[in-house]
Amino acid sequence: MAKAQAQAVADSVRGDNRPFALSHFEPAVLEDALRQMYLIRRFEEGAEESYMRGLVHGTMHLSIGQEASAVGICLPLTDADMITSTHRGHGHCIAKGAEVKRMFAEFFGKTTGYCKGRGGSMHIADVSKGNLGANGIVGGGIPIAVGAALSIRMQKRNDVVVSFFGDGANNEGAFHEALNIAAVWKLPVIFVCENNGYGMSTSTARSTAVPNVADRAAAYAMPGVIVDGNDLSAVAEASVAAVERARAGEGPSLIECKTYRHRGHSKSDRNRYRTKEEIEAWIARDPIGRFESQLVEYGIMTRDAVEALRENVEREIADGIEFAKASPMPLTQDVAMYVYTD
Amino acid sequence: MTTRELSYAQAIQEAMAIAMEADERVFLMGEDIGVYGGAFQVTGDLVERFGPERVRDTPISELGGAGVAVGAAVTGMRPIFEFQFSDFATLAMEQIVNQAAKMRYMLGGEVSVPVVMRFPAGSGTGAAAQHSQSLEAWFGHVPGLKVIQPATPHDAKGMLLAAIADPDPVMIFEHKLLYKMKGPVPEGHYTVPIGKAEVRRQGSQLTIVATAIMVHKALEAAETLAAEGIDAEVVDLRTIRPMDKDTVIASVKKTSRLLCVYEGVKTLGVGAEVSAMIAESEAFDYLDGPIVRLGGAETPIPYNPELEKAVVPQVPDIVTAARELVSGRR
Amino acid sequence: MPTEVILPKVDMDMATGRISRWFVEEGAAVKKGDVLFEIETDKAAMEIDAPASGTLANVTGREGVDIPVGEAVAWIYAEGETPAKADAAPIPAVPSVPGPAAPPAPAANGAAPAVSASQIEPVGSEPVAGIRATPLARRLARQRNVDLAALDGTGPKGRVQAKDVERAATVAAEARERAPAVVPAAGHTPARGDVEVRARAVGQATAPITRQSSAASTWLRQGEGTPLVLIHGFGSETASWRPLLTAFDRAMPILSIDLPGHGAAVDLPAGGFDDLVAHVESELAAQNIGVAHLAGHSLGGAAAAAVAAGVAVEARSLLLIAPAGLGPEINTGFTEGFAAAHDETALRTWMRELVADPAVLSDGFVNATLRARADGRLPAAQTRLGPLLFSQATQRFSVRGLFERLAMPVKVIAGGADRIIPSRHVQGLPGHVGVHLFAGLGHMPQLEAREAVARLLAEIVR
Repeated sequence: MAKAQAQAVADSVRGDNRPFALSHFEPAVLEDALRQMYLIRRFEEGAEESYMRGLVHGTMHLSIGQEASAVGICLPLTDADMITSTHRGHGHCIAKGAEVKRMFAEFFGKTTGYCKGRGGSMHIADVSKGNLGANGIVGGGIPIAVGAALSIRMQKRNDVVVSFFGDGANNEGAFHEALNIAAVWKLPVIFVCENNGYGMSTSTARSTAVPNVADRAAAYAMPGVIVDGNDLSAVAEASVAAVERARAGEGPSLIECKTYRHRGHSKSDRNRYRTKEEIEAWIARDPIGRFESQLVEYGIMTRDAVEALRENVEREIADGIEFAKASPMPLTQDVAMYVYTD
Repeated sequence: MTTRELSYAQAIQEAMAIAMEADERVFLMGEDIGVYGGAFQVTGDLVERFGPERVRDTPISELGGAGVAVGAAVTGMRPIFEFQFSDFATLAMEQIVNQAAKMRYMLGGEVSVPVVMRFPAGSGTGAAAQHSQSLEAWFGHVPGLKVIQPATPHDAKGMLLAAIADPDPVMIFEHKLLYKMKGPVPEGHYTVPIGKAEVRRQGSQLTIVATAIMVHKALEAAETLAAEGIDAEVVDLRTIRPMDKDTVIASVKKTSRLLCVYEGVKTLGVGAEVSAMIAESEAFDYLDGPIVRLGGAETPIPYNPELEKAVVPQVPDIVTAARELVSGRR
Repeated sequence: MPTEVILPKVDMDMATGRISRWFVEEGAAVKKGDVLFEIETDKAAMEIDAPASGTLANVTGREGVDIPVGEAVAWIYAEGETPAKADAAPIPAVPSVPGPAAPPAPAANGAAPAVSASQIEPVGSEPVAGIRATPLARRLARQRNVDLAALDGTGPKGRVQAKDVERAATVAAEARERAPAVVPAAGHTPARGDVEVRARAVGQATAPITRQSSAASTWLRQGEGTPLVLIHGFGSETASWRPLLTAFDRAMPILSIDLPGHGAAVDLPAGGFDDLVAHVESELAAQNIGVAHLAGHSLGGAAAAAVAAGVAVEARSLLLIAPAGLGPEINTGFTEGFAAAHDETALRTWMRELVADPAVLSDGFVNATLRARADGRLPAAQTRLGPLLFSQATQRFSVRGLFERLAMPVKVIAGGADRIIPSRHVQGLPGHVGVHLFAGLGHMPQLEAREAVARLLAEIVR
């Protein structure tokens, strides 16, 4: 971090006009960010295909199209920082450092999965990396993030907590109660609304009284920032500012990433509430292609390096699926394990 | 260890103070628990001793507050969250039922949720329908939670200390009419195990399984019955989940008759579970009469004091039911 | 490489799906994202897009048939790729009987009452004694051989309580002391039989009894995993499964249960169909089996269906061979004749009715059956039981109404030339039930087409 800041200062002295992330982070960090975005995309496509082949039980909520938000927000985080995630949480999980093979294993219900086959897609998390869990309840993770921030405060640590949620959650009571408590107690939380325009089928225009979720921040006396959620650099810039503010003890922030999910709400969505034109317009603004072009344009990666990265990700996905397939199923007699601490 | 007379509320306060003294991870959260001292003066002056960081007033935000407690518990703290009235748990059910109870399971055992939630419960204070309920059975229905109902100052302190040390979420239901009840309480640290019932009175002809304040009513009824030559055993259930089946089964096998007494609404209540558990158990073949339940009426708790008494079991109700059961008239 | 077009899972509980229509014909050009076909589910029609651009070829997914999730239904060939010769056979439909459930055909003679599709009719059980007694009184009465029916209870509405039994036991003991040679009162013997049965059940439930055969249950095969439980038909027994098992090579544990009045359970009484079901459930409980694959033949098929529909055990799959309980008629000439048969001529005559080709009845099979029945105990028991299940050419119970709620995979196998139960009874079952009708076979497809039946069994227990 210190190194990155020094770099940023040097760049500003030189009159650097590159996008924020490119001047703020080391090339290796940026390459890894691109790798994570690919990994999220290909993980979800792989999961979708496995689902269609009947290998995955239940349903899943895909974040294809929202990768810049998950990766950009997590860029300034360390392993000691924590997140709470959502039902659309595969991207957050990977951006916070999870291995795709254990995620696939969880989707396949295997003992080697992160939740040992008890959680599935909707509760996926690598707790060891500071992820306190995806959540099946809209807004369910927001007060928990505030509690984790209270722990940080009481334990006198300098870490922060990011709470991801969707636009749907901004009308839940938990959102308002949690933002208020975090602000009253000046806790180190970054509230990140990934506004993909729809809570299931209901658009934010039809559900939310203010034009932007970030407008809600004023009610809780915290900064409310709107960013292009499909622009990794813009997301990272907002995240860096909010994380710095939180670490400095200045309290919480609310970031609204305007983005879009290319797929339906879940696997049983017939997509009756969005037009083909709207979907195609957003696909044209795909965050992965935009970030990839930036990296090449500014000479951080060559086309060949990008291609090699893609191939690596393909291998990791294929290996992950094989690992999951070959992993053992949990035993039914162990079904009550983990209800209580033994 | 010296034993003194303390009230139930003082016993709880003492347990919290001992735990906070011994472990800096333990802290209190709730509405008006700081300088106000809590709606029932259970936290009292603890804020002066431990400061406002550890005796933390929350906004009137049950859902948010409960969720913050859960989040703090998952990340290394030992919060004790006080609901001002157990009725207000309805505002926080999401965090209790979906998050606290299930987090460990959903995450495959990677976290535990050592939160304690305290619920002042029960009727008898004239507070009417939204401040008098006994909702413990709701929570008893949720795997992942532990649910306790101490009936004496001694148990209140010992079970709360056991709850604070427990790695899983523990819901403690404190009957409001018990707060002022005095009883012997040892000094210093001790625990009363969660999941263990207590036979409060030995008897041979009838088992009365009771919870919370009903334990005292059952003991009073047992004295009246003894004068009539009826020998009742009184079992204080103490924990609803996980329920101590062995103690209840052993008692019913000894007495052949079971009467369940509880303040929560009778239908689908704690006594329904005890009855069904006995009907399914080896004690079934020892029953020499029907299982009888005395529980709360199928109404909200009314305001008028006579009506309020009428909707929960009273000592004469217990005496009558026990008499009929033992004499074979039921 | 061409891109596979699969029948995708589009709904949470979907194992198979039906293509309601194709929007693109074989050989047509498609663009990625074009709507290819429509899937019908219980809830809605879902449109499925092309996963790639190119030419649609080798379309094997037919409209209107059930296709397993994940199965390839077509291929898309990119420009420059040559479609393989379209030699792919159409995907065989998951067997099911289409059309709405038809009511059972009326009995030929019109005399049999219509069987209600939604209930199992308990017929022929002895009337319940109507004794009011507490559990403790009942237990004491069993232990001390006191006839509850003979007591006047002192509890409410005459309920017998423990003290009533104790008083009666004391009186009886005093009487015995005075006259030690007195013959036990009438009603005493059945009570004692009851005690013995219960004692055995209790003993099994408490002992550590994994994979130990018991009086009425035999482990035919040991192994790992969910056990397969076999229930034989009327007049049959465990041994009848052995030919099928020679063709069934799965290494799973296999338990066979003898029904009351049959095989090793010849001495167990049963008052009707419900008692048979209860017997199977209690045998499973005694063996600590909570999850099982169930398979049954004829009467045992009906029992297996009833057990699967109940809550005592979680059935992972259900295979019914020529099951009873699906319609009104049955050849009671056979059930009565076979039940009584205990010499070779009678037995051979009736056994020929079971199969289309008598050649499958090996001498060894007939002789083993003859030996088992020679002492007359099985014929006596089955002559008693038979009329409680089947009489006046009518099956006195029905399990048909249970099928709608069977959530596990269910297959029904029948022989088109069955002379015991008309094979048309398998028509009109709910669509999720797979029906396999072997046109030329009789009442025992597991004997006459053991390879085919073993294969169907292997498929369903997977």
